[in-house]
Amino acid sequence: MLSALLLIPFAGALGLLCWPGELATERIRRAALALLVLQLLWSLRVLLAFDPADAGLQLQESFAWVESLGLDYRLGVDGLAMPLVLINAALTLVSGICTRDLSQRPRLYFALLLVISGAVNGAFMARNLLLFFLFYELELIPLWLLISIWGGANRSYAATKFLIFTAVSGVLILGAFLGLALFTGQVDFSITPVTTSQLGMGTQLVLLGALLIGFAIKIPLVPFHTWLPDAHTEASTPVSVLLAGVLLKLGTYGLLRFCLGLFPEAWALLSPALAVWAAVSVLYGSLAAIAQRDMKRMVAYSSVGHMGYILLAAAAASPVSMLGAVFQMVSHGLISALLFLLVGVVYRKTRTRDLEVLRGLLNPERGLPFTGTLMILGVMASAGMPGMAGFISEFLVFRGSMAAFPLATVLCMVGSGLTAVYFLLLVNRAFFGRLAVTPSSGDALADSRLEVRLPPVALRETLPATALASAVVGLGLLPWGLGRLSEQATSAMARLPALVAALQGGGPLS
Amino acid sequence: MPSSDALVESLLAGRTLLADTPDHLLQVLDVLESYGDVLDAYSINLIYQAEKQFLNPFPVFRFLDGDHSPAKIWRHLLHDRINFEYAEYCQKAMLWHGTGGLDAYLDSEAFAANCARIVARKTRRDLLLGVLNPLFPQFLGELIRSAATTHALGQFWRVMSDLFLDLARAGRDGRVDSIAAVVTFIRDGLVAAAGAPITYAVEIGDERFWVLPPEAGLTFLADVAVPYVEAVFLRGTPFLGTVSFNAQAQQISPDQARFAYGALYADPLPTMGSGIPPSLLMQDMYRHLPERLRRWYEGGLRGAGDMRVKICMSFQKAMFCVTNAAIAGTFPHPLDSSDPRERAANRAYAAAWAARLCVARTDCLDAPD
Repeated sequence: MLSALLLIPFAGALGLLCWPGELATERIRRAALALLVLQLLWSLRVLLAFDPADAGLQLQESFAWVESLGLDYRLGVDGLAMPLVLINAALTLVSGICTRDLSQRPRLYFALLLVISGAVNGAFMARNLLLFFLFYELELIPLWLLISIWGGANRSYAATKFLIFTAVSGVLILGAFLGLALFTGQVDFSITPVTTSQLGMGTQLVLLGALLIGFAIKIPLVPFHTWLPDAHTEASTPVSVLLAGVLLKLGTYGLLRFCLGLFPEAWALLSPALAVWAAVSVLYGSLAAIAQRDMKRMVAYSSVGHMGYILLAAAAASPVSMLGAVFQMVSHGLISALLFLLVGVVYRKTRTRDLEVLRGLLNPERGLPFTGTLMILGVMASAGMPGMAGFISEFLVFRGSMAAFPLATVLCMVGSGLTAVYFLLLVNRAFFGRLAVTPSSGDALADSRLEVRLPPVALRETLPATALASAVVGLGLLPWGLGRLSEQATSAMARLPALVAALQGGGPLS
Repeated sequence: MPSSDALVESLLAGRTLLADTPDHLLQVLDVLESYGDVLDAYSINLIYQAEKQFLNPFPVFRFLDGDHSPAKIWRHLLHDRINFEYAEYCQKAMLWHGTGGLDAYLDSEAFAANCARIVARKTRRDLLLGVLNPLFPQFLGELIRSAATTHALGQFWRVMSDLFLDLARAGRDGRVDSIAAVVTFIRDGLVAAAGAPITYAVEIGDERFWVLPPEAGLTFLADVAVPYVEAVFLRGTPFLGTVSFNAQAQQISPDQARFAYGALYADPLPTMGSGIPPSLLMQDMYRHLPERLRRWYEGGLRGAGDMRVKICMSFQKAMFCVTNAAIAGTFPHPLDSSDPRERAANRAYAAAWAARLCVARTDCLDAPD
């Protein structure tokens, strides 16, 4: 059943590339959308077959692939992977829907989109370290191409920076996986917690350090974040949606699955430092967001800040905080995708994202009132307003981390307050006041005479954002569905350090 | 945007302020037709209020024109109606700015004597007013003053409504086929009505009382039309707009005569307030738009989506034509006079207008649509 989630996108991509003859862009787009809808439906079928009461791996599929290398084709989903598989399917579909007016190579574009989606599915479902790495690396080149071919004016710089950073990330992760096999002598590359009896704490810390930096680049956490704002700024809107909504989650997923999952004891040892790192990342991301004047860079820096919450939750590793981490991954995926979609609409209509230039876009007749309304909803959700997804996730993260790391948690809460600061700045500058899409002349009379002619936003252009906004509110009002889906798995992960410690000391298992 | 000097030369040469293009003609004729329809309703209601809701301390049904049927009340509650509030705001602007002969009469002894008679008669059988009057002796006088302005504005708009609807008919008949002809038509209409008397009387019980008696000698053009243009077209009120003005920070001139918040200065972007821009009026005109202009608007970039903004822009063009006609009709001397003193007086008159108009929304005068 899970293999179909790889087969649909990969076979679809191959089909699109190899289909004989010329195909109109719209036909290619429709074919890709049909495949993405199929992928989403199949993901929902997997969800129906998934038993939330079971904390372990489900729907497993495996066969030996390259036995000599320890590379097994082993797939499975648990409460951590299942929501991410779903959000991958949903956001890739959103990304496909909001792709319009492709000027060049539509066949390649949609094929790359499908390859990325398939690779992300594979990474979330892989139950073998090498298989995970294979999928983790597989999405790298397609994304690089998507930025460097269909990106903005400075796309080459941004794409190369992205490539270098994430290639280093890949090298570190592969090095850690190989080192683990080398030092433990187990070359099956299975995801099994390591104990100090198998591996000394020093070696564990080195391997964990490599994994941490590798995934911190991908997430990204300060100071490995500098590729992200550039990549977002130059990427087209659909690619930004995919990047923020799905691809960053590979990093946070890796943090939970491999850093915590493989080295629970070393993780527990490092957790105070990780909590401090989380707080620094949250505060730095938030303060940097305040300083931005490009809407897209502001949203990108907000991602840097908000990903820090997941590190804090993982460092605390309590059942509540781990559930909060999953909520934060899903809600950040939805909210950041929503914000990037809306920034994309603003840019398409006004040809600028400059907060020193844009004013009054909420104007009911000549502005972008519905886009502005959704933007206000999105920033409220991001700032953790009750009733929306951001509140649930931030509340769970802070509630679950407060006992373990009170100072770091309080600092992260300050970061949450700063989210309100920079997003209110964004909304206040771009959406309130007298409508304008050109720099202020300093002369109030001249500014009041500006005639602004913005094309209207068609209903179909706001449908994806409306759907995401509904999901953000839906998740905020009815969080039990996701909670039920992930609670068993996250609780089991939270018990892992204690479990391993108990095993190590021969104490009772609880 | 034309400079002050360019405006003076245009006025003295008898040229129109608004560029003479087919699109401008279409907009001006059709928007004035819808304005005429709306003014008709405003006029009827203002006169009804002044006569039938006179000194009513709780005029809850003042917008119903005496029709208290459930269907009318239901439509009113659903807001399926004219925004009579806009007419009231204009009346208050006139009352507040208080320029011209009407205001001078309202400050006179004769008016005070009329008020005293009316109050004495009214408080005799009205318990509430009988209590209010000794407590607040100036209150009823102010209400009568307000009612007088209301009635005068109703009479003014009666004339203007008929004039604009006649203009629309003349446009359809082909008698008016240029902006210059529009300005001439309005100027002639204003001149014809210039001397029409403005009077106002109320009936209390079976007695009739003059508020604005014929012997006050108030006339249409000098005592109501000019103060109206001053209060609504030019000065306006610095409230309810897209821009917040801070009076304490001296953002509003302490000299009311230097106010420039009227319809000719309004930013057409709406806020659904009455001040800047006059959105309530745009909403009313939207409901009475001639089909030809509606179709023309729908052909724009945003189609029907920003129709009220486009109505406001067309309305400003039309109001520049009306202002143009009012200036042309009130020059102190004929424009073709060869007397240097008369020419100088005309130039000074034109320069005074141009100084105020050059900071108005003159960008609409020759902007491509």
